[in-house]
Amino acid sequence: MFKYILVTELQASLYTWKSTVWFLITSAIFSFTSYLFLTDKELSLLDQTEMLWLISKIIIGTALLIITVDASNTINAEFEKETAESLFLTPLTTKDFVLGKLLASLALWIAIYLISIPYIIVVSAGSHLTFAFVIYVLMLGTMIILGFQMMIFGISFLFRSSKNTLTTSLIILLALVIPATFSSTLKNNSLSHFLSVINPVDNVFSSLDNVLVDYKIAISSNLLYIIPVLIFCLAAFTFMLYSIKLFKRSGIVNKD
Amino acid sequence: MKTAVKTENLTKLYGKTKAVDCLSLEVKNGEFFGFLGPNGAGKTTTIRLLTGIIRPDKGKAMINENLPTNSIEAKLIAGVMPESQGLYEWMTAIEYLLFFAHLYGVHDPIKAAVEKLAIVGLSNEKNKRIGAFSRGMRQRISLARALINEPKILFLDEPTLGLDPKGQEDIQNLLKTLNTEGVTIFYSSHLLNEVAQLCSRIAVIHHGKLIAQGTITQLQEQTGLTNDSLKDIFLKLTGE
Repeated sequence: MFKYILVTELQASLYTWKSTVWFLITSAIFSFTSYLFLTDKELSLLDQTEMLWLISKIIIGTALLIITVDASNTINAEFEKETAESLFLTPLTTKDFVLGKLLASLALWIAIYLISIPYIIVVSAGSHLTFAFVIYVLMLGTMIILGFQMMIFGISFLFRSSKNTLTTSLIILLALVIPATFSSTLKNNSLSHFLSVINPVDNVFSSLDNVLVDYKIAISSNLLYIIPVLIFCLAAFTFMLYSIKLFKRSGIVNKD
Repeated sequence: MKTAVKTENLTKLYGKTKAVDCLSLEVKNGEFFGFLGPNGAGKTTTIRLLTGIIRPDKGKAMINENLPTNSIEAKLIAGVMPESQGLYEWMTAIEYLLFFAHLYGVHDPIKAAVEKLAIVGLSNEKNKRIGAFSRGMRQRISLARALINEPKILFLDEPTLGLDPKGQEDIQNLLKTLNTEGVTIFYSSHLLNEVAQLCSRIAVIHHGKLIAQGTITQLQEQTGLTNDSLKDIFLKLTGE
């Protein structure tokens, strides 16, 4: 039954022009960044592998920001527009509801990723890293975005308010992305080194560094970075299940 | 006769407030049951408990003899027109009904959607976006959604609110027909004339408690207002 939720969610994105706006913003960011890399005097002096690493961070960072904003509204809109009651009067299960919403949100990431491919090809032209770049951005991006979506859905079921969910999710996103940006500087201190090891965003960026700058393309060489991201996804999934349990206990409508 | 709706000591708390307080009711199959109460009496909460949208803190509610109200089986045989319409503004009327027909697993969704639109008098508006609908049209599309799964039991919370007299009459006639066809109707409304005209039995709740139930004649006897209208009986019972 989740397919009807998925299709409706995708249709809603198209009808309300929400997706179009996201795609335009994404294209503008990628075009501007690629243009700078290729024309700016100082940026064009960067090694191509460094350039690729930076653009991979921009692709995943942009997608994380867009998905955070979009996913914060996906579940909450049903509560705020009072459509949740009519949905749950049908035999629709919470599992189907969440799965449909999750896949619709994931489709947005896939679309952003597809938009990024031509830019990846242009920036990686002449190197032997295009294929590894495309695969690793897809794999790591999908994992981190799935983890974020589940975390945001969990927050949504707790708060039932898009404003509160968005604020909380953005704070978490910034708390993970900012240290990841200064990762190498922070690793000098043992506490910040520990935080860096458990930070999923940091691990995604480190894995991309490993692949694109250090040419360690094999999955086995990146397991050290992939495992913390998988643990984050598992933690986000557990948190989402817990909030769904609380949601079911308090009822679809929690006030008179 | 089989029981369509049954509650035993049903209780729902919101904080320390008892929205529904030890409510015990029984509605027989095929009845047109009126459910009355002043604002904040607990009517909407009761309907939400009966349709599995919220869980009781105490007691139990069942439909169709022994089905728990939040079970899939119960949802398949119940049609609900809740107080909040909760419509997808960007959908057209036909898209909206098709979506719900799919969620209910209706065998022929297109046929069902077209048929229900005709029943509520929205055939000419089937391709119009719900966002452009008037209040009355929104009520009609909500009712069509409640009917999309051919329910055996229909829960209606203020179904004629916002409708013009012609619209009210159309909906009343439709409900009468459905009831004649065997559909049990659990009807909550503030329009007492309408309730008196349609319902075979009536229950009145106040502050979450059941204060009276029976036919209009029985309620007249209970209150000693033998020649008075339902409005007078209601006002006496609720002390308003």
